[in-house]
Amino acid sequence: MTYTVALAQVNPACGDLEYNVEMHVTQTEQALDVGADLIVFPELSLTGYMLKDQTLDVMRPADCPEFARLRELSRHIAICAGFVEQGADGIPYNSAFFMDAGEVRHVHRKMYLPTHGMFEELRFFGRGGELSIFDTRFGRTGIVICRDLFHPLEVSTMAALGVELLLAPSAMPARGFGGEELAIEQTVGLALGSASTFLGMFVVYVNRVGFDDGLGFYGGSALSDPVGGITVSAPRFEAVQLLGTVDTSHIARRRYQLPIRREEDLAIVRRALEMRRNS
Amino acid sequence: MTVDALALNNALIEDYLKRFVQEELHTSGFTEACIALSGGLDSALVLKLAVDALGVGHVHAIFLPYKASSAESRWDARTMFEFCGTPWQELDITSMADAYIALQPGIDRLRTGNLLARLRMAVIFDQSKKENALVVGTSNKSELLVGYSTWYGDMACGLMPIGDLYKTQVRSLARHLGLPQQVIAKPPSADLWAGQTDEGEIGVSYETLDQVLFLLVDQRCSSAEVISEGFDADLVQQVERKVQSSQFKRVPPLIAKLSQRTVGIDFLYPRDWGK
Repeated sequence: MTYTVALAQVNPACGDLEYNVEMHVTQTEQALDVGADLIVFPELSLTGYMLKDQTLDVMRPADCPEFARLRELSRHIAICAGFVEQGADGIPYNSAFFMDAGEVRHVHRKMYLPTHGMFEELRFFGRGGELSIFDTRFGRTGIVICRDLFHPLEVSTMAALGVELLLAPSAMPARGFGGEELAIEQTVGLALGSASTFLGMFVVYVNRVGFDDGLGFYGGSALSDPVGGITVSAPRFEAVQLLGTVDTSHIARRRYQLPIRREEDLAIVRRALEMRRNS
Repeated sequence: MTVDALALNNALIEDYLKRFVQEELHTSGFTEACIALSGGLDSALVLKLAVDALGVGHVHAIFLPYKASSAESRWDARTMFEFCGTPWQELDITSMADAYIALQPGIDRLRTGNLLARLRMAVIFDQSKKENALVVGTSNKSELLVGYSTWYGDMACGLMPIGDLYKTQVRSLARHLGLPQQVIAKPPSADLWAGQTDEGEIGVSYETLDQVLFLLVDQRCSSAEVISEGFDADLVQQVERKVQSSQFKRVPPLIAKLSQRTVGIDFLYPRDWGK
């Protein structure tokens, strides 16, 4: 199976839900026009990142009326976008939804909320406690939001549990301007390479651009292919929408060539954790 | 001793800072920028970045000399105006400064320097209102960290495009952007009296200061670790004290918390909230 994914490297307006929904509709229609099957937006794409106390104002359940047009569009194209989820428990979560066939099929709550240095996510958001693994028409799919991608144990576990398509909406600020590329780009490159090369997954990494309160997000969205490496690479700093092709035969081919997943034995990890707990 | 980590990819930074000026200015609701030009390198670099980012017609630069300002400053400021294609604007602050100084017999050089910086602040903010512009500041990371700047004077602004660049990095970016050599090569000076230089005032060259600051601040080394790298012990301790004692300049004023939500403590919004 082959399908087309649109990487929407956008610049959301901080705290402006109405503007951002409109921008998502425009982007999604554009992707639909060129025949994309799936569009992926960055982390918190519907709200902006540096929300602080606006978090309370913009939190919504995924099935809220404001997102109705996106649900409608998802009858024709699957949509993954970031938002502040108002949980049934009333807690705001840094989440991403996956809409398809006119409905919300899955919501992932970011598990690892950076709260150090320039980051203060746990000050405003609740913490997600579950890996997102769900079946879609694209195969077994997983979502990691930004920092989640840097936790190899979770990403490896998702691969071991069958994930073939990993969606990675992100809001990674630019930093480390000393080299040919940004230091953060090198870090992301390692994570993408690891997930595709060792674990045989396609990764759709979509990072935002623009500035929120002095923090600049660098873009550099990418499609990482288990056989072809980085097959789509968006420019730094520019808002763009790019298309990539996923050929699912590459997953089996890579996993046959380097059968990490076939070798993987989570029982070893489980025994180690149990021994540790009992010692 | 040199710290290679201070080297930057200037092409990348140029692109990034121009976008920063453009987007953050627009997000703040402005299309125009106002910049006080001193004849020195920092304001020259900020002018160039702002003109490249916004277009020459959207940048209002003004030279604000005092009677003690050197002839070189005027010449260098004029060179930068010409280099960037901005129309020459000058407003002499001598009469307003001297009106106050005459009432303060015995006023010393430090107080005079602070007074001039704050008068320039008052003028540039008034000009910004006239032009419906945002004041773009010219402080660099070296001076912000050691506090070699006037609180609510030259530090007052809406954006600081080069506030995370050390002075030596400012020089490097200025060379990359092709700024006139006379502006890059001149000894940095607050130009408050004849022969004054930053390095004479701070007591160390920017090359050394920036390396010490980089190790202390960016690398989070202890002063003992910095000294073990071969830097003079007195210098390192002096720099560390300057950084600590100027912290008050880098934070908003303290507010006595009384209510459930207090400005600056738990009333938290981005700067451009609602824009």
